[in-house]
Amino acid sequence: MFRSVLRTNAPMALRRAAPIAVRVNAARFMMPTRNYSAANKLTNDAVQTRVLSVIQAFNKTNSVADVSAKTSFHQDLGLDSLDTVELLVAIEEEFEIEIPDKVADELKTVGETVEYIASNPEAL
Amino acid sequence: MAVAPTRLQVLALYKQFIKNSKQFNNYNFREYFLRRSRESFRANVALQKPEEVARAFADAKEELGVLKRQAIISQMYTFDKLVVEPLDSQKHTPSPTGV
Repeated sequence: MFRSVLRTNAPMALRRAAPIAVRVNAARFMMPTRNYSAANKLTNDAVQTRVLSVIQAFNKTNSVADVSAKTSFHQDLGLDSLDTVELLVAIEEEFEIEIPDKVADELKTVGETVEYIASNPEAL
Repeated sequence: MAVAPTRLQVLALYKQFIKNSKQFNNYNFREYFLRRSRESFRANVALQKPEEVARAFADAKEELGVLKRQAIISQMYTFDKLVVEPLDSQKHTPSPTGV
């Protein structure tokens, strides 16, 4: 575009030098700029409602009505270790994260799970 | 002599089974493998002897290989969703309208 403008207006002598100048200008315009947006921070409340709905959809749990942060998977929901693994897989899918096995073994209550997810920067 | 796997190892294997079962594209296969994974692990819950546990663990590991392969193959032959499957994603995000 610039070159065609130069070709019509510039005298012969200028035409040789022009392409370099144009290139420099173009390079300045094409400097990559990156806009970093703030991470989408999940609040504890938002995480908790989603975790609770996952638990609700997990049909093995016997009483879902009064699930709170203090609810223990094993004692209150009656899940054994295999069920807990399954529930955590469902939660992993919900938040698109991967909970390491060692951490997963430590998560025994709803509150602990919510806290872990809220502190995980990759959780969506 | 085979060493019995630890609790964490068994749970990790179970997790792999569940995760890979969920990869199946076809509803019927997916549900079948989920069911089968659960049943096969539950059937061995009471195993005590280290050799037996180790053998069950080794068998399950082999089956996991089959499961993984079949899950990938199933993704090459996709089917339409059945009427029993929800069309939208399984996300539990509350909708903004609250409905």
